Amino acid sequence: MADRSDVVGTVAGPGDDPNEFVFVTPSDKSIKTGEFITYTVSVEDEPRSVFARVTNRELIRGLPEGFLADPEVGPETVAATLGVPTDDTELYRLTATVIGYYDTNMTTFANPRQLPDPGTPLSIAPHQQLETVLPNLGCETDSTDVTSLDGVAHVGWLLNRPAEATNLHIPIEEFASTHLAILASTGSGKSYTASVLIEEMMRPTSRASLLVFDPHGEYDTLAEMQGEEAFQGEDGYEPDVVYYDPERLRVRISELEIGDVMAVLDNPSNRMQDRLSTAWRSMQNRESRTWGIDALIAEMEAEFGADDASVGALEWRLRRSIERNDLFHPEENVPLDEIVDPGQCTVLQMDTLDRRDQQLITTVLLRRMYRERLGDVRNRDSDIEHPIFALFEEGHRFAPASGEAPSLGIMRTITSEGRKFGFGLGIISQRPSKIDQDVLSQCGTQISMQIKNPSDQDAIKNSVEAAGEDVLRELPGLTPGQAVVSGDAMNTPALIQVRQRRTPHGAGSRPVIEEWREAYDERQREPTQSESADFGEGESTGVQSLD
Amino acid sequence: MHRSTTRQQYGDGAMTDTPTNEDSPDLDSCVRIGSIVSSNSHLDYVVEVYKERDCDCPPELHEREFGQPVFIKKTVDGTEHAVMGVIYDTQLVDPDQGRTGPRLAQDDQAQFTPGYIEERTTLAGVALLGTAEISEDGEIQEPTHQMPRWTLEVEDTVFNCPDQVTVSFHTVDDQIQLAYMDRLLDIAGDLGSEVIVALINRLQGMLPDDDPNQRVLDVVEQNVQWQAREQRGVV
Repeated sequence: MADRSDVVGTVAGPGDDPNEFVFVTPSDKSIKTGEFITYTVSVEDEPRSVFARVTNRELIRGLPEGFLADPEVGPETVAATLGVPTDDTELYRLTATVIGYYDTNMTTFANPRQLPDPGTPLSIAPHQQLETVLPNLGCETDSTDVTSLDGVAHVGWLLNRPAEATNLHIPIEEFASTHLAILASTGSGKSYTASVLIEEMMRPTSRASLLVFDPHGEYDTLAEMQGEEAFQGEDGYEPDVVYYDPERLRVRISELEIGDVMAVLDNPSNRMQDRLSTAWRSMQNRESRTWGIDALIAEMEAEFGADDASVGALEWRLRRSIERNDLFHPEENVPLDEIVDPGQCTVLQMDTLDRRDQQLITTVLLRRMYRERLGDVRNRDSDIEHPIFALFEEGHRFAPASGEAPSLGIMRTITSEGRKFGFGLGIISQRPSKIDQDVLSQCGTQISMQIKNPSDQDAIKNSVEAAGEDVLRELPGLTPGQAVVSGDAMNTPALIQVRQRRTPHGAGSRPVIEEWREAYDERQREPTQSESADFGEGESTGVQSLD
Repeated sequence: MHRSTTRQQYGDGAMTDTPTNEDSPDLDSCVRIGSIVSSNSHLDYVVEVYKERDCDCPPELHEREFGQPVFIKKTVDGTEHAVMGVIYDTQLVDPDQGRTGPRLAQDDQAQFTPGYIEERTTLAGVALLGTAEISEDGEIQEPTHQMPRWTLEVEDTVFNCPDQVTVSFHTVDDQIQLAYMDRLLDIAGDLGSEVIVALINRLQGMLPDDDPNQRVLDVVEQNVQWQAREQRGVV
């Protein structure tokens, strides 16, 4: 008889679904829901370890509920009184879904299409095997040491296992080319997880070219990667973290498209739109790319006459929305070679810009970068000759489901086409239901964290192909720092605990109480405007004797 | 039914002094309830209750009531043991009942029925609960609620089990136990829950009010009663 010391349960029979089976464990073999278990079947005369995920756990034998009648009397005491043994009385019936065995040719799971026979011993899947087969790493055996691979991101470890026991390394290449979505409600660790990924992508083994669109200024601690030993390569590599503050963010007016201009103008009339698009087109056709509003107005006046009412109204609108906005400039532009470079992580801090400006700068930058990537792939002269990855904090601002953002179009284009041109997007959002479904559904890899809102859960269900029912069921119950990783980067979804950041985290909630108290103390120290009390110098004005 | 009143009156009326010592019950001087006449199974015996002619001091009605713990002494392998049991049922036997033959009646004696009056008897069903050793100073020790392995004999004397012995039989490792409950429920059948409730009430009356076991017994009692009500279709 085989050694059964690591056996945790025994198969009882098939379950309700074709890929489901039921097994029984005693209480001391505590198996959690979501745990990976394994059994051996013979596939084409070769023994294969088939993996299965535990999906449900119910008690089939235990002390009756009547023993719980008095909260102050423990059920074990009642059981002892009746001579009922309490050791090993509980029996659990667990349901597991077959994932498959690791097919080394296909480098993914293959379903054996055969449920285990009743009586088949089950054991907990070994750590290293899971590390190899869970992420889509394309290992040729199921026992490859994944820590030695290049281009993998250590995001955390399996939630059901002890800390750092089964580490999950996801392939950066996979999510950087087929896009990434990090979906989680506020405070559950979205930007923390994103920072972990950024850290991994900036390590010497990957040296990514990263761009972070940061509307809240949450990523200002990433700079501490510089000088940290873990990020230094043997060849002297060190990640470069560049912060672009709002003052340096510029959009050259000629880079705007007519749709972008329409978006910033105060509801222009049809006639105005017509006048503007005609003039804009002829300006775009000019050789010079450095024209301003004055030149545009001159063009309109030349075309429609100086006393045209619509031109006058347009002039006022254009000057108010574009000329008086520091973001737009006739000549200056954000130099692409400054913001994208291998081994460089550029954080575009947009916290002082309003939403419309954030969308516009994003639109223009994405459009320019996409153009350059397109040129590079088609062997034209290009400013960006390497793949890039852009991460969007508050992704629903840039690709809203309502469609009211100039950036939506280019976001859709990149998520559907960007893979061919080495342009990956990462969308971070707490409102999946407010993200454009086309954009969200194109994000091949998803890291979903705690989400309680039903409409957001529905959005994930509808747009995330890889998210199975059992994954969605986990979402409301996750706590901060716990995540479900699914999609292209994984062979099967897994529940993980996100690892600790190497750099300090900058986006936590503010210590409100402390700040209130400090502010209050501050106020107390300031001299008040009211008159100070009379402490009795000179004649008393107090209570006088009535005598 | 009419005839049983004689016994009833007898039981209620005569108060015999039973030599019981509250502090250390002497197992030898316990009230004798009756003797075994037959058995229904290894754990289920029939006891004929002593009447005034069978012994010096027959048991009073309350000493052989429903739910009364009893014991039978057995010497096994040189050690004296007490086989513990409980009265879970009683039955009246009157061979005279339904006799329709001629009666030797006289004027001064309306009914002449020689001999038969003494054959009227009360039978008690005793279910065995467990065993304990009897120490040299007459106390019980090492009580166990396991099924007794020894068979009792016809004419074995059944003693009334004093309260203190009952408590020590039910105390295992400082905790009250009724580990025989499943077997007792099985033997006692229809009256199973009643005999257990009677035992529990008896134990609760013997334990101090603030004893932690009181609440445990409450829970057990509740459970047994609830199950019985469920079975009988009350709830």
